[in-house]
Amino acid sequence: MASADEGSEHRDGQISPEERAEFKRRSAEIGRRLEAARPETGQNGSQGKSDDSASREVMGRALRLSTELIGGIIVGSAIGWYLDTHLMPAVFGTKTWPLMFIVFFLLGSAAGMLNVVRSGLKMKTGPSDPSKGKAVPDDDDDS
Amino acid sequence: MAADGHGHSPIKQFEIKEVLPIDLFGIDASLTNSGIYMLVALGLIFSFLYFSTGGRNLVPTRLQSVSELIYEFVANTVRENIGTQGMQFFPLVFSLFIFVLVLNLLGMIPIPGLTFTVTSHIAVTAALALLVIGIVILYGLYKHGLGFFGIFVPSGVPAALYPILIPIEIISFISRPISLSVRLFANMLAGHIALKIFAGFVGLLLGAGVWSILAPLPLALTVALTALEFLVAVLQAYVFAVLTCIYLNDAVHGSH
Repeated sequence: MASADEGSEHRDGQISPEERAEFKRRSAEIGRRLEAARPETGQNGSQGKSDDSASREVMGRALRLSTELIGGIIVGSAIGWYLDTHLMPAVFGTKTWPLMFIVFFLLGSAAGMLNVVRSGLKMKTGPSDPSKGKAVPDDDDDS
Repeated sequence: MAADGHGHSPIKQFEIKEVLPIDLFGIDASLTNSGIYMLVALGLIFSFLYFSTGGRNLVPTRLQSVSELIYEFVANTVRENIGTQGMQFFPLVFSLFIFVLVLNLLGMIPIPGLTFTVTSHIAVTAALALLVIGIVILYGLYKHGLGFFGIFVPSGVPAALYPILIPIEIISFISRPISLSVRLFANMLAGHIALKIFAGFVGLLLGAGVWSILAPLPLALTVALTALEFLVAVLQAYVFAVLTCIYLNDAVHGSH
């Protein structure tokens, strides 16, 4: 919005392809200079992330891990308990009480472990590859 | 004064009180203190964003730069976790983040007899988590059709292990909304209970004769816990937003 008002000769916010290319070149240039001016923070390739946001992310992940395991166990146990007490007697008319519960408790524990390992791996590799990050804030870029 | 402990139960602050009874076709839709807090939060969010972005200056004013910072922060979180095509979910993630954040922070403002933390009720957090997981499933089915269920089939393992691994993957998927909601609710609940208990110790020690000399200790701890609670309030809102992004990533990209 504001850019259309600034360039008074461009009505309707229309700009020619050359000007667009020029604008892109300049925005890339600013991005490079910003990167250069920013003090090197963090370890290798943290793409100009401040220490603050890095530590915030680490704490967020640490808090996340605790409930991952519990979630799997709760769901597994609940499914096993439901199968034993409701589904199995109703469908097959057999009494299977601790069997399904034990099986699904184990499966649920495995799922909880899987959750923890997954978020652990994500922690190690970082949430994304650098290509997903953005170099220059350019909201009009549709590419 | 507080020595008997009555009226100072640490879980009294989580009581839901009916303010305006509404009966909607047999459904109890009464306005409670929880609902009022949510409405206040919505009003705050709306008016803050509306007035801070009203100027739309190229060089932002202080208020405008605050809302721009929040926007940038959430937008970067979405881009990092889902990629640029995930920006279609930006409104959802932004709404969830700022709603949870404001509710968490409103719960930290002490108003005698009124203070209430909406996010300390699992009904609220579970509703938010189910909304997220519902959108993940619906969008995944819309985007990938039945191929969406491919996320339950782990890649690179022999087919003989599928009968064990697929139930594990399914349980892992079902556990997501549960851990998402339990995490937020448990953190807020436990934090506020701990705060209340340690604050209660101050009063109990003051009424305990010579032991009142120890009263400043829990007071100092309460101050420290309050700071920690502010950190947790912000961090849990952030974690909620990040996990929403991670789960949406599955729906957008189809696999782990």
